[in-house]
Amino acid sequence: MTDKFHTELKNLKAETLEMAHLGRYMLRTAVDALIRQDNELAASVIARKEKIHEMEVRIEEHCYHLIALNQPMAKDMRTIACTLKVITASLRIGRYGKVIANIVEKISDQPHLANLMTIPHMADLVTGMIDDSIEAYEKDSVAAISDFSLRDDTIDSLRQSIFREGITYMMEDPKSITRCTNYILVARYLERCADHACKIAENVHYMNTGERIEIH
Amino acid sequence: MSESAIITTHNVHLWYNEKRALESVSIKIPRNKVTALIGPSGCGKSTLLRCFNRLNDLIDHVKITGEITLDDKNIQESGTDVVMLRKKVGMVFQKPNPFPKSIYENVAYGPRIHGINDRSMLDTIIERSLRHAAIWEEVKDRLDDSALGLSGGQQQRLCIARTLAVEPEVILMDEPCSALDPIATAKIENLIDSLKKDYTVVIVTHNMQQAARVSDYTGFMYLGKLIECGKTVQIFEHPQEELTENYITGRFG
Repeated sequence: MTDKFHTELKNLKAETLEMAHLGRYMLRTAVDALIRQDNELAASVIARKEKIHEMEVRIEEHCYHLIALNQPMAKDMRTIACTLKVITASLRIGRYGKVIANIVEKISDQPHLANLMTIPHMADLVTGMIDDSIEAYEKDSVAAISDFSLRDDTIDSLRQSIFREGITYMMEDPKSITRCTNYILVARYLERCADHACKIAENVHYMNTGERIEIH
Repeated sequence: MSESAIITTHNVHLWYNEKRALESVSIKIPRNKVTALIGPSGCGKSTLLRCFNRLNDLIDHVKITGEITLDDKNIQESGTDVVMLRKKVGMVFQKPNPFPKSIYENVAYGPRIHGINDRSMLDTIIERSLRHAAIWEEVKDRLDDSALGLSGGQQQRLCIARTLAVEPEVILMDEPCSALDPIATAKIENLIDSLKKDYTVVIVTHNMQQAARVSDYTGFMYLGKLIECGKTVQIFEHPQEELTENYITGRFG
């Protein structure tokens, strides 16, 4: 029976990885659509909203079944606890992708200001953090997430600099207000996604070591 | 373990003939707590339990070395009064084993052996013991009925009452629920939880979920060795030893 349980646990991780990759894909694709002002690409992100929701519900139920039927202990228990957190974080990341995709349609009729400021660079860093947190979960390794605290600080500074830069453009020219406000919102969403990557990292650390850490 | 220990073993080895059953076991059993011993069949957990009231003396060709103390007194010493030791350290077995006597006489048996024959005193002891073992309400109107007419779960609680009647300090339980259905098991588990206010309980169980539910401390044994012992929450959430981890997550063998 325990062989069956451990096979199921592997399947659970595989499903979770698929969902985490979908969340990451939605965010990355939404930012790409923003950069390229591509409404069709943005629409493809919005169309995936239902799918990621369904996955979250299905995986959550799978976790509860495994707990109810197997009373997992030690690392098995921590893996399921971590999985429940990973799916919540992945859903949020995917939903921020959807929200950014909505913005694409709102501001695609006007050219970008200041090459989107540092949003493309910030998006690269954030998706890098998401990739590393997913890889840590997949490989049971905390190596890729050891520098998350520093990386999260960088993301926070970028968000603040986009905010300040956006304000100066808006003061110079009121016609830029719609675009700049949306840039500031996007920067805020990206920063939240980095926080979710940190949450995944904290839980992967717990899954592997049994110790709780907090990434600021 | 920071709590004061009622039983301590130091470097205990035990052989049945040439076969080593315990190897260098050092454990502290904290007072007024429930300690569970878990491990695969033949790992020595029942043998260790039987060291605590010298029940292994009854088996031929047993050799024990090392120190076992109860309340800081070495119980391995030749001058130890084994009857008094077993009064202080009571035991409950896997299969309920009531005497083929009335419910009353089952519980009265121990106090009588220790010289109590006064009827009213016995009545008091019997009511208190049966209440403590959470079976009084079920048997108070039929104390003179045969104990063998009780259900398995009731018989087991009667055996616990029989143990309590001689006012032990420690109660050893060797798989006390494995012959019982889930409802009777739940009653015994609730009882174990209430017993620790007044007694120290050491329980051997195959059922890891039971160990996790009832105990404050858990010791994991393997091939005669105590591999790891610590707070139950720690053992089941993140054990320090890989062997323990493998055993409790079913990745053994």
